[in-house]
Amino acid sequence: MVTTAMPQPVRPVRREQQAPAANPPAAPLPETAHVRTDNFSVYYHDHPAVNRVTLTIPAGKVTAIIGPSGCGKSTLLRAINRMNDFVPGARAEGQLWYCGQDVYGPNCDPVELRRRIGMVFQKPNPFPKSIFRNVAWAPKINGYRGDLEELVERSLRQAALWDEVKDKLDRSALALSGGQQQRLCIARAIAMQPDVLLMDEPCSALDPIATAHIEDLIDQLKTQYTVVLVTHNMQQAGRVSDRTAFMYLGELVEVDATDIIFTRPNNPRTQDYITGRFG
Amino acid sequence: MNLASRKLINRVFTSVGVLSILLMAATLVVIMGPIVERGLGAFIFRGTVEHRRVLLQQFGRGDREALEAESREVAAARRPVYDLLEAFEAQLTQGPAELRRQYRQPLNELKQHLQGLLGPFPGKPEPVLLRDRYGETRWDQARARCDHIVYAEHYDYSDPSRMGLLVRTPRAEQFAGTVLEPLFTYVPAHLEEMLRPRWTCYARFLTDVSYDSHFFGGIGPELLGTFYLTIGAILFAVPLGVVSAIYLTEYARPGSRVVALLRTCISTLAGVPSIVFGLFGLAFFINTLRVSPSKSVLAGSLTLGLLILPLVIRAAEEAIRSVPETYKLAALSLGATRWRTMVTVLLPAALPGILTGIVISMGRAAGETAPIIFTAAVSVGQPLALWQTFTEPTPALPWNIFNLCSEHQAVDEIRHVQYGMVFTLVLLVLLLNSTAIFLRARISRKLRG
Amino acid sequence: MSSGLAASFLISRSAGRRKRLAGLLGHAALFLTASSSALAILFIFYYIFRDALPFFRQRGLREFLFSTAWYPSSPEPAFGALAIFYGSGLVTAGAVLFAVPLGVSAAICLSDTLPFRARQMVKPVIEILAAIPSVAFGFLALVVLAPHLQQHGGTMLAVVAGVLGLPVAALGTWVASDLCTTRWTGRTRQVLRGVAVLVLGAIALLALYHGVSFLKALQIASGTNALNVALVLGIMALPTIVSVSEDALQAVGRELREGAYALGATRAETMLFVVIPAARSGIAAAIILGIMRAIGETMVVWMASGNAAQIPTPWYNLLQPVRTLTATIAGDMGEADHVTGSARYHVLFAMALCLVVISYTLNLVSEHFVRRGGRVGRR
Ligand SMILES: Nc1ncnc2c1ncn2[C@@H]1O[C@H](COP(=O)(O)OP(=O)(O)OP(=O)(O)O)[C@@H](O)[C@H]1O
Ligand SMILES: [Mg+2]
Repeated sequence: MVTTAMPQPVRPVRREQQAPAANPPAAPLPETAHVRTDNFSVYYHDHPAVNRVTLTIPAGKVTAIIGPSGCGKSTLLRAINRMNDFVPGARAEGQLWYCGQDVYGPNCDPVELRRRIGMVFQKPNPFPKSIFRNVAWAPKINGYRGDLEELVERSLRQAALWDEVKDKLDRSALALSGGQQQRLCIARAIAMQPDVLLMDEPCSALDPIATAHIEDLIDQLKTQYTVVLVTHNMQQAGRVSDRTAFMYLGELVEVDATDIIFTRPNNPRTQDYITGRFG
Repeated sequence: MNLASRKLINRVFTSVGVLSILLMAATLVVIMGPIVERGLGAFIFRGTVEHRRVLLQQFGRGDREALEAESREVAAARRPVYDLLEAFEAQLTQGPAELRRQYRQPLNELKQHLQGLLGPFPGKPEPVLLRDRYGETRWDQARARCDHIVYAEHYDYSDPSRMGLLVRTPRAEQFAGTVLEPLFTYVPAHLEEMLRPRWTCYARFLTDVSYDSHFFGGIGPELLGTFYLTIGAILFAVPLGVVSAIYLTEYARPGSRVVALLRTCISTLAGVPSIVFGLFGLAFFINTLRVSPSKSVLAGSLTLGLLILPLVIRAAEEAIRSVPETYKLAALSLGATRWRTMVTVLLPAALPGILTGIVISMGRAAGETAPIIFTAAVSVGQPLALWQTFTEPTPALPWNIFNLCSEHQAVDEIRHVQYGMVFTLVLLVLLLNSTAIFLRARISRKLRG
Repeated sequence: MSSGLAASFLISRSAGRRKRLAGLLGHAALFLTASSSALAILFIFYYIFRDALPFFRQRGLREFLFSTAWYPSSPEPAFGALAIFYGSGLVTAGAVLFAVPLGVSAAICLSDTLPFRARQMVKPVIEILAAIPSVAFGFLALVVLAPHLQQHGGTMLAVVAGVLGLPVAALGTWVASDLCTTRWTGRTRQVLRGVAVLVLGAIALLALYHGVSFLKALQIASGTNALNVALVLGIMALPTIVSVSEDALQAVGRELREGAYALGATRAETMLFVVIPAARSGIAAAIILGIMRAIGETMVVWMASGNAAQIPTPWYNLLQPVRTLTATIAGDMGEADHVTGSARYHVLFAMALCLVVISYTLNLVSEHFVRRGGRVGRR
C-alpha cells in the first residue's frame, strides 16, 4: 500500500534544526497545507516535550509521525486539537495554524476546534453506552439535524464495522472486541464529520488482523480526511502514510515523502532509527 | 527467646486476631438477636379477643359478627370471675369493718390487675382513658398479667447492705379462707377461654396510627415522619453534594489552597457531633432564618441534610474520580464542553457510585436522632400531609424509640411497640445499606465486564 | 477546506468574551455551591459561639470549668460543668480502652491473616455494625444491657475477667519464664525454667483468683452507668477503628512485609515490629476517629449513662452513673427552650462550643496523621 506516485510537496520542507530562529513570520499558506506549525513548542512545567517544531501537514494525505518513545509525538498530536489544555502544567509556545488560523490565538474556540479535528486514542475508549449511542453521541451534542440513524450507519460503514454490528446496535460497546472497539472509536470520530483525524498509535493494542483492518480503513479515509498517524510500527508507517515525520527528543528531525524517508533519508539519525540501530 | 516461645506468641497473636473478629460477629448477633426476635413480635404474635376488639372498634377492621359471637363465649368464660368478685364484695360489706380495712388495699390491687387483663367490669361506666377500655391485647402480656394476679410482688429492703430482694407471695394466701380463693386457680386455668389467643399477623402495624400514646395501634406517623425527614435531607444534600463533588474533581485546580481549605471544611463538618447540628438547626434555621415558626419537618430535613452533606460529597467525589480518564478525553476530543462531558459522560458513568453514597446517607439520615430533637420531632402526632411538612413537626422513628423507652408512663407495657420500632428502623437502615452493597457489586461487575 | 471551514472554530471577539464570561459565571456558581460546606461550618461556629458568648459574659469561665456544682434550674443556679466534662472523658476513655485493642487486632487479622473469602464475609459484619442507628444501640443499652448488668453484673464481670485472664496468665508465665532464664543453657536452664513456671504460675493464679472473686462480689446499684455506656460506645466506635486501621495496614505494602518474612520473622513479629510501626499514623488516625465517634454520641449516653452530674468515687469507678456534655445538651434543651436568653439556655451552647472545638481539634490531629501516613505510604 505504499504510495508510489507521490506528488512532490509544493514547497521544500524546512528542517527545524537548520534554521530554528530564522523563520519568516506567517508565510502565506500553501494550498495543500491543512495544519502547519511554526517554531512550535509544548512545555510540561519547564520541560519542553515538543521543541520548536516547524511542520506542514498537507490536506487529504496521511502523515505519519514516528520516533522513539517519549520524543513528544503524542504531545504534538494532542497540541493540534488542544487536548493538552487539560494537562496541568502544559503550555504551548510558537504558532500552530489550522486552515490558516492560529489555533492558540485569542479567537479560537477549542471546543469548536475539536469538532473539526477528530481524535482516536491509543487504547480503544468507547463510552459505556450502546454502540448506536456511542456513534450518535457527538452529532447529538453538536446539534446535528439530519437523520441520525443514517449518519450512524454511514459512519459505521466507513469504519468497516457496519456488517459486524448492524444487528446489535443497542448492545453495550464494551462487549465488542478490542479491534471492533477501536473501529467504533474511529466511527465515532468520523460521525462528527471532522476535517482532520488524529490517531495516536491506534493499533498498538490490537492483533495483526485487527491492525490490517484499521490500516485498510485509514487508506480509505484519506480520500476524505487529513489523517495524522502516530505509530511505533515502521512497516505501518511505510504502508499507509504519504508523508512521514521523524521526531527525536522533542525536535522534528526530518519530514518528507514516506518513500524518501524509508529509502534515502537526509539525516543520519533518521537512518539509524529506521534501520533499528538506535541507542 | 527460643523458637518455641516465638511460635507460641505467633500463634497467640493470630488467635487473638481471629478471636476479636469472632467477638465482633458475636456482638452483632447479640445485638440483632433481641431486635429481630422481639421486634418481629410486634408484627406476629398471639392476639387476644381484646386485640380484635380494638381493631374493630378503633380501626373498623374485622368481622363484626364473628367478634360478637366470640365476645359472648368469652363473656361466659369470664362470668365466674365477676361472680366471685361480687360475692366477695358482698361478704365484705356484710362483714366487720376491720375485715373491710384489711382487704381494701389488696382487693383494689387485684381489681386493677383484673381490669388490666379483661377490660372494664361489666355494668361499670366506660372509662375515660382508652387504655382502660380494653384488656390485654397480647397473649404474652396477658400471661404476665395473670402471673401478677396469682402472685403479689414486693421488694424486701430489710438488709441495708444489699439491694432489695424480690419477694413473691401467692395471693391465694392473702385471700385464704374467703370466697375469693377459687379465683386464683380459676383465672390461670381458664385464661385461654377468657381471652382466646390466636396467632395474628399485624402487618398494618407499619401504617396504623397509634391510640392513647401507643397503647394501641401502630407506628404509621413515625414511619411517615422518618420518610419525610430522610427524603427532605436527601433533596437538600444531594444537589449540593454532587455539585460540590463536580467542582472539586473537575473544576478546581488540584492541590490549590482553596481545595485544601474546602477539604478541611468538609472533614470538619463530618466530625461535628450530631447534637451540635441539632442546636445549630434550632439557632439558625428556626430562630434566625425562621423557615418555620417552630419545629418542622423542613427545619429537621435541612439540619439532617447538612449532617449528611459531607458523606454525599465524599461518595460522589470518589465515584466521579473512579470513572476512567479515557471517557473524559474521548468526550472532550469529540468537541464536548467540560460541562457537557460531565453531564453526559462522567455523571452517568459515576451514577451507581453516587447512588451508593446517597443510599448510605439515607440510612444515616433515617437513623439520626440528635439533630431532630430540637428541630423536627414531637412525641405524639398525626400523619402529616405533604404540604404540612413545611410548618408542622412530626413524630419520627428514632425520636419515638427514645421517647417511648425513657419517658413514657407505662414503659413496660408497650415494650413490643418499642421493639417493633427499633426493628423497623434497623431493618430500614439495613435494607438501604444492602441496596448500597448490591449497587456496589453491580459497579464492580460492570467495571470488570 | 479552507476559510469557510476555518470560520467554524473561530469566534468573534465579543462572542469570545461572552463565552468566557459565561464560563466564569458557571465556574463561580459551581464554586459557590461547593463552598456550601465551608459556609455551613462557618455558620455552625458562628451561631454556636454567638449563643455561647452570653453565658461566659454572665458567669465567666472559672465556675464552668472548675466547679462540679451543676444546679442549672435551682433559684440560685450553679453551672459547674467539671463533672460533666469528666463524664464525657471517662465514658470515652472506657470506650477507647475497650475498642482499640479489639479493633486494631481485628484489623490486623482482617488485613493479614484471613483469606480473601473470609474477609468478604467479615466486611458486611462491620458495615452492619456501622449502619445500626445510635438510638437502637441506646435502646439495647437501656432495655437489655442495663437490667442484666444490674442483676448479674458482678458475675458477668467475673466471667469475662476469668476467661480473659487465664490465657493471659498462662502465656505470661510461659514467656516470662523463658525470658528470665535466657542467661543459662542446657539442663540448668530447663530446671530453672520449670521452677520459674511453677512460681510465676502460682502467683498469677492467685492474683487472678482474688481479682475474680472481688469482681463476683461486686454490687452494681444501677445498670445505667459509665461501664454500660463505655461498652456500647466501644462497639459503636469499632467499625471506624477497624476499617480505617485496616486501610492503613493495607497501605503499608507487600515489600515491607516480604522483607521481614525473608529475614525469618514470624507473622506476629512482622506485624508488631515492622507493619504496625509503619502504619502507626493511620492507626492513630483511626483511634482519633473512634474517639470522635464516642465523644460526639448523644443518644446512647443520654439513655444509658444514668445522667448523674457527679465525678464517680473513686475517680475511675465505671460502675456509677455519669453525665456527659452531649446528654446534657439533649436533655436540658427541652426545659431551657422556653427560657431563651437565660444562662441556663446559653450554658448548653457553651457546652456545644466545647464539643465543636474538641472535635475540630481532633479532626485536625487526625488529618495530620492521615497526611503523614500518606507520605510514608508513598515513599
Ligand atoms: N502529563 C504530563 N506531565 C508531564 N510530563 C509529561 C506528561 N505527558 C508526557 N510528558 C513528558 O513529555 C515527553 C513526551 O511525552 P509524549 O507522551 O508526547 O511521548 P511519546 O512520543 O508519545 O511517547 P510514546 O511513544 O511512548 O507514547 C516525555 O518525556 C514525557 O515524560
Ligand atoms: Mg504517546
